[in-house]
Amino acid sequence: MMSQMRLSFLLPLVAFGILALVGGMALYGTLSGSRDPTQLPSVFVDKPAPQTNLPRLVQTGSTTGNNVSVTMFQGKPVLVNFFASWCAPCRAEAPALEMLSKRVAILGIAYKDRGEDTTAFLQQYGNPFQAIGMDADGRTGIEWGVYGVPETYLLDANGVVKLRHAGPLTRGVLETTIFPALEALGL
Amino acid sequence: MMMATGLWRTHILIGLALLNMVIGLVFISATNTPAHAITAEEMLANPVLEERARNLSKQLRCLVCQNQSIDDSDADLARDLRREVRSQIAAGTSDDAIIDQLRAKYGDYVLLNPPLDQATLFLWLSPLGFILLGGLIVMMARRQRGAAITTELEAAERARIEKMLASRDIENRPKT
Repeated sequence: MMSQMRLSFLLPLVAFGILALVGGMALYGTLSGSRDPTQLPSVFVDKPAPQTNLPRLVQTGSTTGNNVSVTMFQGKPVLVNFFASWCAPCRAEAPALEMLSKRVAILGIAYKDRGEDTTAFLQQYGNPFQAIGMDADGRTGIEWGVYGVPETYLLDANGVVKLRHAGPLTRGVLETTIFPALEALGL
Repeated sequence: MMMATGLWRTHILIGLALLNMVIGLVFISATNTPAHAITAEEMLANPVLEERARNLSKQLRCLVCQNQSIDDSDADLARDLRREVRSQIAAGTSDDAIIDQLRAKYGDYVLLNPPLDQATLFLWLSPLGFILLGGLIVMMARRQRGAAITTELEAAERARIEKMLASRDIENRPKT
């Protein structure tokens, strides 16, 4: 009788203990940076990148009929970078893109931007892009599952997405995710 | 003294059980606050189609604000997604097909109501688990209290009570 009473008295405490442990582990995982809640997973990883066909930006700020598409880069890996002149973190990652452009071809997609603004941005912060497509209404961004610029996708030679990073390419991001992914593609 | 600690324990158990049930109910209930992020020019002219668009928008997550639907949110991306939903509806796409298209781009995360699958099984079943746990604790607490009341007195206790009752018989008690 006594031992049964003691057992039932402990039950809620044990239940609470398990809950606290699960919650604590989740919190620890978030705080220690192994799971960043602002980083949403991309469904495109290891899948072919969406078909993309956009008006090409020429340096004068106007666009030409000669369109930009991902298939232009078929046969070699390409980094696809969604950016905008109005996006502050895009300025911060400009030097990183400049450095990456020496290792891999970069396709820029100007997300919800105007041609003249994009041109002014490139003049100020440098142009690391082989070509720039204008996604004026953000439709292409939706096609790719973009939820905020800057976002960077690494495609292999077959146009399959190997990596997606949302947010600026900081030194830490380059070292922990981008460089290893490039090396895996032999770059 | 034994009796008192037993009751006190029972009260704690019932308290914990109620707390458990409240946690379960909080998990179940989804707060639905009306908001008006949508602007008049976005709306479809056909009220039936517009109703479908509103209904779909309420199920879709605004991915930048993360805990609002695209119907609630003022964010640019939410507006773009609302426009996408409406243009698809206007083009005659079914609700399920629109949802599936967005899931193919943004993943299950775009759904405010997560689908029931292996990864979300715990999420869906945990409220039920909390309520069952609460019920179990209430049952155990009640049984314990019942047991405390029906327990037979031991012979020594019975003798002590009889002695006390006898000494309470004031009329017959000799004055000391």
